[in-house]
Amino acid sequence: MKTLKLSLFGTAAAVVAIGLGANAYAFHSGGVAECDGCHSMHTPAAGGSFLLQGSDQSSTCLNCHEHAGDTGPSSYHISTAETQLGAGVSPLQRTPGGDFAWLKKTYSYLDRSGATVTEDGQVHGHNIVAADQGYAADSVNTTAPGGTFPASQLACNSCHDPHNPNRRGVDGNISRTGAPIVRSGSYNNSVAPVAGQAVGAFRLLAGAGYTKGSVTFLGNPAAVTPSSYNRTEATTQTRTAYGVSTSGGHETWGQWCSTCHPDMHSTGNYAHPIDQGMGSSLAANYQTYVASGNMTGSSATSFTSLVPFAQNTGDYATLALSAQNNNSVLTGPGSTDQVMCLSCHRAHASGFAEMLRWNNEYEFLTINGAYIGSDNSTSGNAHLGRTSAEWQSAYYDRPATTFATYQRVLCNKCHAKD
Amino acid sequence: MKANAIKHIRIIILSLSLLIVSAGMSMAGTFKASHLYNLSDFTGPLTYSWGALSVDATRNEVYFIYQNLVKVFNENGMEIFQFGDDLQLGQVLGAAVDKNGDIVLLAYLEGRSTIIKCNYRGEPLGEIKLQRLPKDFADFNASQMVSRDGLLYLASHSEKKLVVAEADGTFVRGYDVFDMLPHMDKERNDIDLSTISVDQHNNILFTIPVLFSAFILSPEGKLTSFGRPGGAPGRFNVVGGMVSDSQGNYLVADMLKSAVIVFDKDLNFVKEFGYRGAQPGNLIGPRDLVIDGRDRLYVTQGRARGVSVFQLAYD
Ligand code: HEC
Ligand code: HEC
Ligand code: HEC
Ligand code: HEC
Ligand code: HEC
Ligand code: HEC
Repeated sequence: MKTLKLSLFGTAAAVVAIGLGANAYAFHSGGVAECDGCHSMHTPAAGGSFLLQGSDQSSTCLNCHEHAGDTGPSSYHISTAETQLGAGVSPLQRTPGGDFAWLKKTYSYLDRSGATVTEDGQVHGHNIVAADQGYAADSVNTTAPGGTFPASQLACNSCHDPHNPNRRGVDGNISRTGAPIVRSGSYNNSVAPVAGQAVGAFRLLAGAGYTKGSVTFLGNPAAVTPSSYNRTEATTQTRTAYGVSTSGGHETWGQWCSTCHPDMHSTGNYAHPIDQGMGSSLAANYQTYVASGNMTGSSATSFTSLVPFAQNTGDYATLALSAQNNNSVLTGPGSTDQVMCLSCHRAHASGFAEMLRWNNEYEFLTINGAYIGSDNSTSGNAHLGRTSAEWQSAYYDRPATTFATYQRVLCNKCHAKD
Repeated sequence: MKANAIKHIRIIILSLSLLIVSAGMSMAGTFKASHLYNLSDFTGPLTYSWGALSVDATRNEVYFIYQNLVKVFNENGMEIFQFGDDLQLGQVLGAAVDKNGDIVLLAYLEGRSTIIKCNYRGEPLGEIKLQRLPKDFADFNASQMVSRDGLLYLASHSEKKLVVAEADGTFVRGYDVFDMLPHMDKERNDIDLSTISVDQHNNILFTIPVLFSAFILSPEGKLTSFGRPGGAPGRFNVVGGMVSDSQGNYLVADMLKSAVIVFDKDLNFVKEFGYRGAQPGNLIGPRDLVIDGRDRLYVTQGRARGVSVFQLAYD
């Protein structure tokens, strides 16, 4: 089959089929990719380290993960190029982790006293240093809040292991050595390895023994995502199924984030409960909460990707069942399912301060049935410098009608205080 | 006797290979790329990262689009005109000049791409609708456009599709590049096309970075590919756009190497130039290439390095 198709390429001696072999279409395929995509072994290097050529580690990743000329969400792109980021235009990517270009969206507006306030783009997420693409270290948070990891060293490979040796075998355990990695292990159609094979750890995330500066990760967090995950949520939601596991090379999501933010997590630090069961009354709230004031929902249709929770299982096959992007599984949490960092935050960046999944800077998300945009005449100064369309894109294109006419912050999805 | 004969043959082989080597070297000696200047406006060189480029090869004018602003540069790389910021066209992705000297814009609004005919000042005159698209291309949305010899070449980098149309939008031919590649078990989503260019023989040139490969698609639909992964001269790290010069040489941008890699018309490696650095002739993350009628090569870059212009020469 392969040779037959190749012959269509003609007979010219120059036709070299390199790069078109098995597995050639993916790059990482769950593990260490072709070295030449990140290292240039024989190029006269001016500066740079590790033969990466890019100004820094993250610029190297963004050579592929940002694509000038994108018109919308596009597969594995997680950054919108500056050339597509004019005033009034939102970043284009809609991945679960979020588009880093939100870090470049600075908004100005008048506060209640009429003074001009600037919401600096850098508050929208993790400021990775990628000089070629115009990303610089956070100038306010010099270390990870609640920790010591230096902001000046924050890079893609602070969180992702570029060589990812973390493999999940047929027993569901993750280890750094063992059966060969055959493909990504992130997707609902790629989770199950057969005997003698392994799949990559979720999103090539840093796993046990991966050390960056003074921090060392203790395990991989469990999750499964739909194979098509970078998409508008205007009509159907993208549901990443986050799991809970602390055995076989795993740690919880809260523990993983706390590698760099230890004091955001440990009990007694006045932080929000994390990695803790919802309990029956909060689970019931989640299941019945539709919108502010509306508690008529039912568990089977209650999920929202703006407030995801961790299913209390480390079984990837179970997680894969919920990892859908067609609204076929919108089941809400049971009492043992957990609240975790990613219930409220995204992992890369978002359209909101503190990298939250919704705007927590004002009591209403919508007023009079529309987003609190500068073009909504009833929203006064509450628009925070964005148009309704910009707010809508930050909610991954959901129409305002998804919410109540006067919707309050989504803490209420679990707490139902509105 | 026998030993002598072998020695003789060895000498022949040795001199043959010397011949080949020196042929290769003289080839390399004939191609020269010298940095001329960077595209500039009255405040100095542009300080943008990447952005879309196109060239009007008859007038040797260059169009550079950045955040909906279309900037037009004369044959010396000075900005002479700009428009677009007040147009309600959505996201402007590209500009081309047709045979009559009118400007054609490619824009993206509310989920679909539109081609807009403008006068030479960039004032919209009307939409050019793609007509008679076959079923497989019914929802084709272009993200790039090239005008050449009266035809419009449209590419969708994410859909991996190409459409060639008449100036009035009538479909001439189309390609699903992904379907033309020998398939394994991989997803369409795992690859991107680079920007395309069209050479003097109307071949469409592009690369697929993740495959470490460059492609030449002839008007008859024959696809030729070349390239090998690697950092050594002539090999590909993370490639970008490809163009062909007046001599038929192929020039391929490499973002990771930060160099332009040159091959002759038979696809033999000739040389590389650029490389990461702060000198004017250096490049940082070169991605898109266009070439004008005088073999001037325009290169977009990252790190706010704007567009570098090189003169190619062959003596
Ligand atoms: C996805 C990009 C990527 C790919 C593919 C990749 N590397 Fe790396 N590599 C990196 C980055 C980023 C660093 C810098 C790590 C750091 O900053 O600590 C690095 C560092 C290294 C180092 C030095 C530090 C160390 O960890 O030992 C070696 C050796 C290395 N890589 C070898 C390889 C080999 C061999 C391959 C191919 C089998 C490869 N890499 C493929 C991104 C990559
Ligand atoms: C040569 C292009 C290229 C480079 C360079 C590159 N990537 Fe990727 N990346 C891809 C492609 C293509 C995919 C989707 C296919 C796949 O997963 O192999 C991808 C997917 C991913 C994924 C999701 C994988 C999964 O299994 O869920 C992560 C995470 C990622 N890249 C991180 C990185 C990081 C971090 C770097 C830099 C150290 C990097 N990439 C450099 C092309 C690239
Ligand atoms: C602070 C840690 C962190 C940093 C820094 C980081 N990532 Fe991620 N990334 C994650 C996590 C966690 C996920 C999974 C998010 C989810 O599923 O909710 C992820 C997901 C991804 C994905 C899959 C798509 C998505 O957004 O869900 C890609 C691709 C990726 N990262 C690439 C990158 C690249 C490239 C960089 C650097 C420019 C980077 N990441 C920096 C933690 C990080
Ligand atoms: C490798 C270390 C590292 C990991 C892992 C990490 N962070 Fe961070 N985080 C940082 C650093 C450094 C900063 C400060 C720089 C900045 O704000 O850009 C930060 C900042 C933040 C902020 C404040 C953002 C802002 O703009 O004010 C939030 C919220 C956050 N992290 C949440 C998380 C969550 C949730 C996770 C797990 C998915 C996580 N972090 C994992 C290093 C890390
Ligand atoms: C219930 C929702 C929720 C959960 C769960 C949550 N956060 Fe937050 N986080 C917030 C809100 C809201 C803010 C901003 C307001 C504030 O600081 O109280 C915030 C702020 C932060 C900041 C910025 C603090 C600063 O000083 O700028 C960091 C870092 C952070 N969170 C990390 C984490 C990590 C790590 C986890 C998991 C261990 C986590 N958060 C879990 C809601 C949450
Ligand atoms: C995904 C569900 C979820 C979301 C969203 C959520 N919480 Fe909670 N919250 C919980 C759970 C679970 C507890 C622990 C309840 C218990 O112990 O009874 C909790 C406890 C609390 C407590 C009591 C803390 C204590 O120590 O007793 C406060 C206050 C609180 N949440 C505020 C917030 C605020 C403010 C937000 C929005 C920024 C928020 N929560 C969002 C699930 C959630």
